[in-house]
Amino acid sequence: MKAGEIVDRIKQHLASPWRETTYRDTFKSGGPDTDVTGIATTCFVTMDVVQRASAAGLNMIVPHEDTFWNDRDDTAVVSGDPLYQIKTDLLKKHNIVIFRMHDHMHSERPDWTYVGSARAIGLDSKYETAPNSHRFVIPETTLGALAASVKKNSGATSLRVVGNPESKVSRIQLGVGYATPPVAGAEIDVVISGEQQETDGMFDSPEYVLDAATLGIPKGWIMLGHTVSEEAGMLEMARWIKGFVPEIPVELVKGGEPFWPPR
Amino acid sequence: MPSLSRRQFAAALAASAAAAPFLTTGRAEAATVAAGEVIDRIKKNIGVEWKPDSVDGIKAGDASTGIAGIVTTSMATLAVLQQAVKAGANLVVTAQPTFYARTEAPAQRSPGLDPVLAAKQQFVANNKLVIFRLSDHWRQRRPDPLVQGFASTLGWARYQSASEANQFQVPDSTLDALADTLKRRLALRGGMRIVGNKALAVRRVGFLPGTTPVQASLRLLPSVDAIVAGEVREWESVEYVRDKAFSGEKKGLILLGRVVSEEPGMSACADWLKTFITEVPVRHIPAGDPYWRPAS
Repeated sequence: MKAGEIVDRIKQHLASPWRETTYRDTFKSGGPDTDVTGIATTCFVTMDVVQRASAAGLNMIVPHEDTFWNDRDDTAVVSGDPLYQIKTDLLKKHNIVIFRMHDHMHSERPDWTYVGSARAIGLDSKYETAPNSHRFVIPETTLGALAASVKKNSGATSLRVVGNPESKVSRIQLGVGYATPPVAGAEIDVVISGEQQETDGMFDSPEYVLDAATLGIPKGWIMLGHTVSEEAGMLEMARWIKGFVPEIPVELVKGGEPFWPPR
Repeated sequence: MPSLSRRQFAAALAASAAAAPFLTTGRAEAATVAAGEVIDRIKKNIGVEWKPDSVDGIKAGDASTGIAGIVTTSMATLAVLQQAVKAGANLVVTAQPTFYARTEAPAQRSPGLDPVLAAKQQFVANNKLVIFRLSDHWRQRRPDPLVQGFASTLGWARYQSASEANQFQVPDSTLDALADTLKRRLALRGGMRIVGNKALAVRRVGFLPGTTPVQASLRLLPSVDAIVAGEVREWESVEYVRDKAFSGEKKGLILLGRVVSEEPGMSACADWLKTFITEVPVRHIPAGDPYWRPAS
């Protein structure tokens, strides 16, 4: 089966039309003519994921994120680096074809990155206030207890939390990846997301949460890390593709959290 | 006390430990310099051309305000402002934004509707504080004061490369042990995250303060065993170093957090200000590590 046939089926099965202007959702290695033996979905195409996918007989990788360490996968940024050659050699050796699914994943409803993240951190869908609102109202708890539960459920060793652990919280706004909503909203106690710049943004939540804590206003900010936040939803992506590509295996191959915490 | 001479005031101040507050009773005598004058001297002494289209400048308060004391910090949180006021200081020099955005006070937030923003603005007004951001120009100075402050805070000046100031040749260590040392010496809580092999032998360390793109990591990593950075994008340098380590190259990355990575530089800023502001006391108050991590 050709990679181009699989991409055609992906485009046909999306609810909204394909946007040809996307620079993200394109082939990053191989192309439409590459023969595919199986498909791996993942968050980042790490070299580790390439080896494990290949060992499992999967030579098409559908990642959510970039392959060559910059969002546009602009090879001009990295082609002078020896690791670029090593990685492209590894991809060639295993006859890997990569087709990224980012923009079109986020524009689907539901957006599986949210579905997967909620599942990974143990946020029950029965608490979501409206479908696709990503807003959850849970029984009142403390920020400390919530963070401990998120850490335990997700297994994320290096998540980071801002706010007073004693703060009573119940209203959670879930973000994914770098799409982190501002924590300032009056109807939000805690934002849980993947990644966000610490300062110099459009709304710097860490400083806001610190100041809120000084004033005794209960706010919290839990950053899971990009992969922990968005990789779980690639299970839904694998199942969805399997639904219209029944001929070959389709599996989630996890890259996992890149970090470890200090002693 | 109000009749203390300038010299007596200075002596009394010197006698008080660094942690002790400024002598607020000496405030009337000390207020001999306007904020605008301090800022003019900063511009005159900084050694780089002052550009109007930077993030630097007064973010709250008035240039004509008489200054009784100066505090430098990486981030002027409300807690830092409270400590500054308690210490009798009313000019705060900060590396980060104060009102939650690069633009300061995001347009979509009305102070009347936002209790946190309103309370901070009120605190600043009530205490006649002047907040001056010094970031773009500060990091352009050479030698880089963020690097010099980092070296000084860690006691690493003797390990510093003569030609590449942000590179250090430290005693034999491992990535794990180095992270532990940094965590303790920089008083970090939960912001630190590490990529690479724990047992990685580390001798050469490169420092990238603040926030940096993948290009900075690509340039620096060949010369060092590990990069210590403030903040990077996870889809850039984090994944790059993860692949690098997986490919068998002996490399690591330690992320400190952006705010704490710039704190030693703001400590150095206080020392620098003292060289041309002699009328009022100058001290550094750290914002601290914003993050914590659940124990289990």
